[in-house]
Amino acid sequence: MTSLFLTYTYDWSVIPASIAFFERGIQITLKISLLSVAFSLVLGLVVALVRMVPGPIGLVGFAYIQVFRALSLYVYILFIYFGLAAALGIRLDPIEAGVVALTLLNSAYMAEIYRAAIQAIDPGQREAARSLGLGGIGTFATVVFPQAWRIALPSLVNQFTDIIKDSSIVALIGAPDLMYQTIERVSFYQRPFEFYTTVAGIYLVMVVIVAQLASRLERRLQRHLA
Amino acid sequence: MIYLAYQFDWRVVTDRWQMFLAGAWVDLWVAMIGFSLACGLGLVNALLRTSGVRIFTVPAFLYVQVMRGVPLYVMLVWIYFGIADITGILFTSYQAIIIALALTGSGYTTEIFRAGLAAIDRGQMEAARSMGLSRVRTYGHVVFPQAFRIVVPPLGNTFVGLLKGATIMSVIAVPDMVFLANELNVTLFTPFEVFAAVGAILVVMVLFFSAVVYVLERRLRIA
Repeated sequence: MTSLFLTYTYDWSVIPASIAFFERGIQITLKISLLSVAFSLVLGLVVALVRMVPGPIGLVGFAYIQVFRALSLYVYILFIYFGLAAALGIRLDPIEAGVVALTLLNSAYMAEIYRAAIQAIDPGQREAARSLGLGGIGTFATVVFPQAWRIALPSLVNQFTDIIKDSSIVALIGAPDLMYQTIERVSFYQRPFEFYTTVAGIYLVMVVIVAQLASRLERRLQRHLA
Repeated sequence: MIYLAYQFDWRVVTDRWQMFLAGAWVDLWVAMIGFSLACGLGLVNALLRTSGVRIFTVPAFLYVQVMRGVPLYVMLVWIYFGIADITGILFTSYQAIIIALALTGSGYTTEIFRAGLAAIDRGQMEAARSMGLSRVRTYGHVVFPQAFRIVVPPLGNTFVGLLKGATIMSVIAVPDMVFLANELNVTLFTPFEVFAAVGAILVVMVLFFSAVVYVLERRLRIA
């Protein structure tokens, strides 16, 4: 605290020297994020369908959404990676634990997105399909879902940005993702400012790219709907 | 059958329930202060963003993008380690998590306030101005009271998000409930019980505040 601002000499050369580590980290981060998105897209739809069943089965879906949305990813990961491993003998490696945690959390969010989209479809569509002789499953698969999918897709892609950001937490259990690689380099070079600024920039770029994709998708899908 | 070796011992949690609640309280008040600051920052930034003056609107827009695009964990270590290193400002770990929550949250609150202000019909503003109210009074008596109804539900959701995010604070050694659970796990090796307890407390807190938001939403809708 002797002199503010003046004594620090920046050394940005450590960043290009660490490119290989960033690349490896980005690969793992994307792998974890993409797997989690794929799994939670499927699981989220199942949960949404369960949620919309009238009666006690629907309540199970409701409870799933409420509870699984309420936990933070860090608590999820600690519970899955340490708690379940010790008590039930479910031994996942850090990447698997991260994917499971991200999938459980985001499937609950995605279930609500699906539900809103499915409910936005005019009931007349369903009635018309049923009266034309399509079964319940046929109606859903060929009439309701293709329309609901278009409504849901932009929000689902936006959820992907949250997954990318949240995935940084898997570094805490030792999955070698972007954040983990950065922390390693920080302790090697003792340059927290340069590294954390860079990694913030990398996450920002990834998120902005995905968000752009979402808004482009939204415009395109609306053009077809109109 | 290796898992049979694990002996469940819930007394680790039940004997220390006051400690868990004290830890949960740390999460809660830190999230509350972070959220309050995020609201202040967000409101100012929303006014800048809607000011129509380019030297304000462009930085305000970029601010939102950056705050929403950087993970909270990265933000936290950037403040706690990075900023400390270049400026010599040694934030306490409490200050660091509160600042990180305030900055991340302000990206979201800015957009909420902007949408709330934009939803108020321009005619309201024009009518108040033409009746002789100053710009400040127009905002204070006409625009804000109406925008308030619109912004409360999404702000409540932002608070819930920050409360969940606040649980990351134990990585810089703030003694919250997750920190306590980690300590107990290391010393007593009871990961299932302690992390289940922390999860349960978090679910209860989040569901409570979600219910409050839900009730507020219904109350405020009757305009």
